[in-house]
Amino acid sequence: MTDTIDTAARALSAGLMLFGIVVLGIVEILAGEPYSPVPITNEAGDVVATPLISPEIRTAFVLAGIAVLGLYAAYRLVTPLPEDDDVRHETMAD
Amino acid sequence: MSYQSSNPLVGETEFALDGPWATYWIAFLRVVTGWWFFHAGITKIIESGFSYSYGSAYMQQMSGTALGGIPVWMGNNLAWLIEPGVPLFETLIGLALMAGAVTRLAAFGGVIFMILFWIGNAGFGNGVVNSDLMGLLMFLTVIVLAAGRYYGLDALIEETAVVKQNPKLRYLLG
Repeated sequence: MTDTIDTAARALSAGLMLFGIVVLGIVEILAGEPYSPVPITNEAGDVVATPLISPEIRTAFVLAGIAVLGLYAAYRLVTPLPEDDDVRHETMAD
Repeated sequence: MSYQSSNPLVGETEFALDGPWATYWIAFLRVVTGWWFFHAGITKIIESGFSYSYGSAYMQQMSGTALGGIPVWMGNNLAWLIEPGVPLFETLIGLALMAGAVTRLAAFGGVIFMILFWIGNAGFGNGVVNSDLMGLLMFLTVIVLAAGRYYGLDALIEETAVVKQNPKLRYLLG
C-alpha cells in the first residue's frame, strides 16, 4: 500500500510540476512571443503581446506538485514507521 | 535497525536516501535544469538566430573579475564562436539534460556557462551565494550524482558494447 502511494506521489508531483514548467513552456514557445511569461510593452508602455498561458496558471501547477509532496509528507507522519525488513543499509564490503 | 558506519545519518531514524525518492528527485532536478537552458537557448535561436551578439559584448565587459583578462579576450577574439555558440550550446545542453544523454559532458558545458554568468553578472549584493551560484551548483550536482542514469538515456547507453569496451566513457555519460 505504501509503495503504491509512494509511486503515486512521485508520479503526480513530478507530473504536475513538469507540466507547469516544461509542457506549458513548450506551448508558450510554439505560441510565439513573448517567450517569457511577461507581457511585452512598446516604448510608450503599451502592452503589445501577452503570454498565451498566464504565469499564475503555470505556477499553480508547480505549487500543486509541491502540495502533493507536502500531503505525502503528512501521510508519512501519521502512519506507523515501516518495518526494517530489508538489509539495504548494511555496511558494504569495500 | 541496521547501521551503516560510513553514513551516520542512517541510524535510528530511517530516511531511505538511496531509495526511489532519491532517484525520482535527481531525475526531476536534471530535467528542470535542462529545461532552464533549453528555453534560454531555443528562444535566442528563434529571436536572433545564430548571431547572438550580446554574448560577445557581455564578455568584453567582464573586466576586473577573478577570471582576469580571459573573458575580455574571448569577447574580443572569439565572437565567431560565442555568437552562434551561446544559443546553440544552451539548447543542446538543455536537450541533453532533459533526455539524460551524455549528461555529464553536457552538464560540464553548463558549468562553464554558469561560471561566466556568476562571475560576469556580479550581482553580489546579497553575498556571493546568489541564484547564479545555485544554478552552477545544480549542474555540478547533476555531474556528481550521475543524474542521467536515473530515468535517462545514459542508463541505456552505458549498457552498449561500445561503453563496456571503453569504460572511461562513463565519465562523460551518466
